[in-house]
Amino acid sequence: MYPFGRGVTRLWPYLLFALPMAFYLMFLLGPSIFTVIYSFTDVINIPGKAYQFVGLDNYKDIFFAGNSAERIDSIKRTLQFTFIVTIVQNGLALLVAVVINQKLLGDKLYRSVFFLPVVLGVAVVALIWTLMFDPINGPVNKFYSLFNYSDTFFGSFTNSFGYIIFVQIWMYMGHSMLIYLAGLQSVPKDLYEAGYIDGTTRWQSFKKITFPLIAPAFTVNILLSIIGAMQTFDIILATTDGQFNSRTMAYDVYKETFRGSLEMGLPSALSVVQFLFILLFVIVAIQLLRKREVEY
Amino acid sequence: MQPSISAKTISYVFVFVLLCIYLVPILLVFNVSLKSFEDYLNNPFSIASQFNFSNYTEAWKQGNFSDYLLNSLLYTGVTTVVSIILAIFAAFPIARGYIAWGGFFYLLFVMSQFLPNPVVAQYRLMLFLRDNVHSDIGYNSKIGYMLLRTSGAGLVFMMFVGYIKSISRELDEAAGIDGAGYLRFLFQIIMPLIKPIIATGVILTVIGTWNDLVGPIQFLSSPEHFPITAGLKEFRGQYGNNWPLLACAVMIVAAPLVILFLFIQKYIVNGALAGAIKS
Repeated sequence: MYPFGRGVTRLWPYLLFALPMAFYLMFLLGPSIFTVIYSFTDVINIPGKAYQFVGLDNYKDIFFAGNSAERIDSIKRTLQFTFIVTIVQNGLALLVAVVINQKLLGDKLYRSVFFLPVVLGVAVVALIWTLMFDPINGPVNKFYSLFNYSDTFFGSFTNSFGYIIFVQIWMYMGHSMLIYLAGLQSVPKDLYEAGYIDGTTRWQSFKKITFPLIAPAFTVNILLSIIGAMQTFDIILATTDGQFNSRTMAYDVYKETFRGSLEMGLPSALSVVQFLFILLFVIVAIQLLRKREVEY
Repeated sequence: MQPSISAKTISYVFVFVLLCIYLVPILLVFNVSLKSFEDYLNNPFSIASQFNFSNYTEAWKQGNFSDYLLNSLLYTGVTTVVSIILAIFAAFPIARGYIAWGGFFYLLFVMSQFLPNPVVAQYRLMLFLRDNVHSDIGYNSKIGYMLLRTSGAGLVFMMFVGYIKSISRELDEAAGIDGAGYLRFLFQIIMPLIKPIIATGVILTVIGTWNDLVGPIQFLSSPEHFPITAGLKEFRGQYGNNWPLLACAVMIVAAPLVILFLFIQKYIVNGALAGAIKS
């Protein structure tokens, strides 16, 4: 029961709870719901101007208007980005976590260094890699020239998106790694000893002991990667600014809202489509991951 | 089970290569920041022969970084303190069941992670506030930006609920019998008790706010309101090819959080871990 008095004082928890609730409703949940509503209207970016419902017109415009090819390219790129980032980032992070976890000298140092890019932030990380990828003087091009190859990196129509994916993984690998390390530290050591006595190989002990036992960390990481990657556009904004075939859905939403025409129904519809993709992937991922957890 | 010597060697080689991929870019930028422009053009990546710290003072002055830094401190300080307090106001009654519909509100707050992108309506809201309420709290205002960044929902809230649940309820009853009020109990008993998780929440919020690039670009248009992330982008627009100066700017922007990071690594690691396990 509520121990802090009766009568009017009973209202304190409600009163204080109303504050975060108000913030949440006004600046997050409300706008989110309104964006969904706007996606069915012809609302334009002039405050106070009346708008009408237009059914699914905005959604049709995404897929069947004159410049739809570009939008569909953005959608494809978003999916590509999400799949590659989720798989490579998690594979690498898990490998690094397992390697570091075998009590290497300086393990704490490695942990900090790999997490450092998250602390540096996207504005700094983007500039660091723009310097590395400088097409004229850059060290990576110097390295490439050993193999008689050169690139224009973020200025390349064919390759810029690949480099963006690389930078994204470079930046967030350490974060996934930390979560895997947490999972690994919760695995009881005697399980490995038992396995060792039974003569398991290292791969077997990873597959049969480690992997099943860090299933929760795996699930969390996969979901975080999917949701994060689907919504990422800050790294694109800071490197190519959407040029050179590097736009994704999230970037399109930003571009159409803040730098495009006055129309706001279309970016709203794009936000909703993006959300539906996230929902679909999260549901599929949860189903797959749960199946795996049951097997063991 | 002891890994074999060869397995250990392979591990060290692997980690060493990866360390290079992480440290070399950062060290190279630092090295470039110490060079004069001519030196950079002639030998971009030789070790800087003399430390040219005048680059730093020049970048600092040319880039208005003192203004940007003050803005960043303001934004990060205010949104972090307010967000943490709001998260406690939300998490405590839900963890204890002191408000009706607690389970529903919990889900509602957790949902904040999965909502459809709200940015279109946020933009309209900010324009509305600017035009109809006051130009100081809407689009392109310091307060408007902080309002958008402040939130008691999300990951920090979830961590708080989990942590508060592990604190004995008898404490509440004892304090209640002694006549403590709700507010007093929250600030004088609960907050000191959940210090570790507050530290974690503070760090996650600080990193998120300090490094926010998208928010300022979307909702602030005058450079006088920019935090250092947007300031850095602005600076880059002006000094696109002067890499020694740009590298100084990068170092200036990165330094505060990296220094903080060196001192409170333990909490950051614990924070990332706690966030993972609890959710």
